[in-house]
Amino acid sequence: MRNPILTAILGLFLLFGFVPFGQADEAAEITKMTKEKVNNIITYLRDTSLEKETRNKQIIAEVNTIFDFKLMAQLSLGKQWKKTKKRQRKEFVKVFVKRIQQSYLEKLDLYTDEEVIIGDAKQTKKKRAVLTTYLVSADDDKKEMIYKFRKHKKRGWLVYDVNILGVSFIQTYRSQFAGVLKTKTMDELIEDLKNSEKS
Amino acid sequence: MAQASEEPEEEDTEPEEEDEDEEGEDDFDDEFGDPAEQEIFDPLSGYNRGMTSFNDGFYTYVLDPTARGYRWVVPEGGRRAVGRFFKNLLFPVRFVNNALQAKFKNTGEETGRFVINSTIGLFGLFDPAKSWFGLEEHPEDFGQTLGAYGVGGGFHIVLPLLGPSNLRDSVSLYPDFLADPTNSKFVVRKENGDHALYGDSELAPVGAKAVEVVNYTSLHIGEYDNLKKDAVDLYPFLRDVYEQNRNQKIAE
Repeated sequence: MRNPILTAILGLFLLFGFVPFGQADEAAEITKMTKEKVNNIITYLRDTSLEKETRNKQIIAEVNTIFDFKLMAQLSLGKQWKKTKKRQRKEFVKVFVKRIQQSYLEKLDLYTDEEVIIGDAKQTKKKRAVLTTYLVSADDDKKEMIYKFRKHKKRGWLVYDVNILGVSFIQTYRSQFAGVLKTKTMDELIEDLKNSEKS
Repeated sequence: MAQASEEPEEEDTEPEEEDEDEEGEDDFDDEFGDPAEQEIFDPLSGYNRGMTSFNDGFYTYVLDPTARGYRWVVPEGGRRAVGRFFKNLLFPVRFVNNALQAKFKNTGEETGRFVINSTIGLFGLFDPAKSWFGLEEHPEDFGQTLGAYGVGGGFHIVLPLLGPSNLRDSVSLYPDFLADPTNSKFVVRKENGDHALYGDSELAPVGAKAVEVVNYTSLHIGEYDNLKKDAVDLYPFLRDVYEQNRNQKIAE
């Protein structure tokens, strides 16, 4: 107990013993981390002095530390992942990650000073947590966005799926890829993704 | 396609990490399920695909340019007020469906909102109910009401201009249509006792709907195009997004 602040926080948790200490602590950590990232990204978006390309690079760097893009690619393939060759996996992850990062950046282009409300993260399982956020738009539309986290062995808590208005990003890709792979091969799918990226 | 392979290979995968992911994947199966087993009953898929591209074209070449022009002419404050005005008019739809789902607190809040916003809020142009009295909206429609009582969506139907829907929600449009004052105001009784929609003022409700839609679109420019970016195949993508979103709304 060298750190007095830590001691105080620990004391508070013991005092209000209704939350399991470890869990609340980790959940609070996720909330704090997400708030920080969101604030950073908003700062980049508002900084008009930045060139778009540099700005995007900074945002992606920020996002990379909190998203597990590789896991997202894997989950989007579902059972197919196991059947694909190593070379295909590598290639697929590459095009998929590029695609969703691009899609994310384009979504941010729509950002016009909406208010972002970040709730408190909740740990649902030992290695899972969810964080509900709201995006309040110009006509008072409140969009619910839920970030789903998984605890990675080395990298800690990382986002593996985003639910926007009940629509799971991964689920949507998963059924699309499953549909495409019914008639096409994995290589053709990768090829398709590469081509659509250019248009 | 060549450009991707030109890039230098980075240290993508360490074998150690691979192991954890394999374990992680099994872990996720109950969350997302197996798409192959969730085969969707889609008897209208041929028609739906066609209608999806029609609607997509309509949005891109008609609605979007119109809304952009309108956005250029009408300032945002005005458009937001118009949006609130139409939202306020749809109070009967929300009232009935909240009541039918026994959400009485919401029904009360909606009633309070309607009374306050129609009067102090100048016919709904403003929303003092939320900003001064903290009364929130509770949008509900008949499809959600049926869903709340356990009625499944049925197969997917893409409606002309209205977009993705399913059997339950398409049928539900009718009761909601009757509760929508922009429509029912114009239902006149013919001499033989039949109801004739729109009567003499045939174009009035159509015009009102058109303004409502263009106004709404003008406040959400670019969102559809953005959403589309995540589509590998547009029709099943939009179908999936619609059904997931409806299920969430019903669960709430």
